Amino acid sequence: MRVLMISWEYPPHVVGGLGRHVFHLSKTLVAKGINVKVITFTDGSSPAEDRMNGVEVVRVNPYSLRYPDFISWIHGLNMLMVERAASMDDFDIIHVHDWLTAPSGIAVKHITRRPLIATIHSTETGRRGGLRNDHERHIHELEWLLSYEAWGIICCSHYMLREVSTNLGCPRDKIAVIPNGYEQACLGSPAPLNRRNYAEDSEKIVLYVGRLVHEKGPHLLVEAASKLRRWDLKYLIVGDGAMRPYLVDMTRRLGVADKVYFLGHVPDGELSALYHRASVAVFPSLYEPFGIVALEAMGAGAPVIVSGVGGLDEIVQHGHNGLKFIPGSSDSLAYNLNWMMSDGALRERCIRNARQTLGRFSWGAAADDTINVYKRVLGEYEGGAWKPTF
Amino acid sequence: MKPVIHITWEYSPYVVGALSQELGRILPPLAKTIPLVLVVKGDADGVSVIDGIKTYKVGQSVRTSPHVLIYSHVLNLDLVRGASTAIYDAGGASLLHSHDWLSSLAGVYLALHFAIPLVISVYSTEITRAHAITSLLSMGIYDVERYCFQRAEALVVASEEMKRHLTKDYSVDAGKVSVLKGTHDNLLGFYRRWVR
Repeated sequence: MRVLMISWEYPPHVVGGLGRHVFHLSKTLVAKGINVKVITFTDGSSPAEDRMNGVEVVRVNPYSLRYPDFISWIHGLNMLMVERAASMDDFDIIHVHDWLTAPSGIAVKHITRRPLIATIHSTETGRRGGLRNDHERHIHELEWLLSYEAWGIICCSHYMLREVSTNLGCPRDKIAVIPNGYEQACLGSPAPLNRRNYAEDSEKIVLYVGRLVHEKGPHLLVEAASKLRRWDLKYLIVGDGAMRPYLVDMTRRLGVADKVYFLGHVPDGELSALYHRASVAVFPSLYEPFGIVALEAMGAGAPVIVSGVGGLDEIVQHGHNGLKFIPGSSDSLAYNLNWMMSDGALRERCIRNARQTLGRFSWGAAADDTINVYKRVLGEYEGGAWKPTF
Repeated sequence: MKPVIHITWEYSPYVVGALSQELGRILPPLAKTIPLVLVVKGDADGVSVIDGIKTYKVGQSVRTSPHVLIYSHVLNLDLVRGASTAIYDAGGASLLHSHDWLSSLAGVYLALHFAIPLVISVYSTEITRAHAITSLLSMGIYDVERYCFQRAEALVVASEEMKRHLTKDYSVDAGKVSVLKGTHDNLLGFYRRWVR
């Protein structure tokens, strides 16, 4: 089976979870005997043609053209991807990820008459909490078009299945739920870390990892810190984003500036070390299609507190492998944080059970399920009349 | 004989400007001489015969676009859908002929994948429309025009002035630009390179 994978991010160019997802999925598919070619982005710092873990990677550079905004940039990137696909060997199936490569996937589908599969990692409505301008509406309509044009849709959680079926009007029988995998080694070994650079010896570490944007809910953790007033806790915020100045100001306003430490982006080794040193990891998202960070924390042995939303809600069972709080409620977060920090038996139980939870999420299983989707779609395709006529 | 496939974003009754009238004047008599297929934006997908021409209409899939550059990208996705169907229905095409930059991307995609020669008729350019490339939007449109013009096998213009403009401002090889007065006889003669 030959798969043409199209993704706007792939190592070494990784923006978020999508790039890591496509990387792990592609190399695991190859390990299972599937021929995978990836068309992706380069800014000129990575080779135009490459082979990584058996995956043939070709990259196009959109900076040969100029764009007034991000959506135009994405369409320009897709334009070059369609051109690049014309000079590649034949393939049986096209697999794209999110609206970002929908245009190239749809064009190549119609030109080659090969079936299209789409993984929808998140939606514009979910990310923005609504559609308020023409840019957001355009992305939403592209997502709708992708869900319409794709023969099969893959989502990473049942929450996303509901979102795609309701927000995009996609029939549920087109959608397969395949959770992301988790690899213990994905963050690498913990780097040497001097704990006193981050917290006093008497302070326990509360760790947040994520972009500093509203949908990830970092403001809820700052609010909870001010309500809790536990001076034996130090809040480490890993990640960056547009909310950072607002959050820094918020810590001053609420009187917790000396307890909340913004680290920005940190290397994987340092992040791994922070997970190992954390007394608790908190993920207060308002929108979270999957929540791979919770698995990373569990893998490092940090007990987790998550908001009961999206994929996080499906990973964590309250009181079993972590705690869940009411989405958007800093009171609820403060209550659960205090409970976790005060109940040693609960912490030990959550850490122990979390290790078992990780067994449910492997890239091997994700690849097997993805191959089953490919086989089902190709079976339907072979039985139909929509094929190249010459 | 495999057909010549014309790709345009307007044709009567969908009229935006003068392009639909120009094509309405030239294409029907041409269709009496050589097999011709028209792919055009319409209200919904469908195949019909208009003015004696087999016409593939494509509906607009994405209704909201912040500006014309983004609009052109998604319009061309629709045109690719219609033109691919036309090519498979006909068992191929002898020539693709796109009209104006707005529908040129579809022609480029199809020419690259099916190895069919592409002709683009250039009626105006971003420089002649905007008089100067001063905004990022104009730069983006200019770059797409340039991208398409350079990938076409031949360009058709109506005046020597436009030919000079394309060679000077878009670095187009003068040898691939033909100046044609807009009649079906002239177009027929021009097509003889590819259509026999």
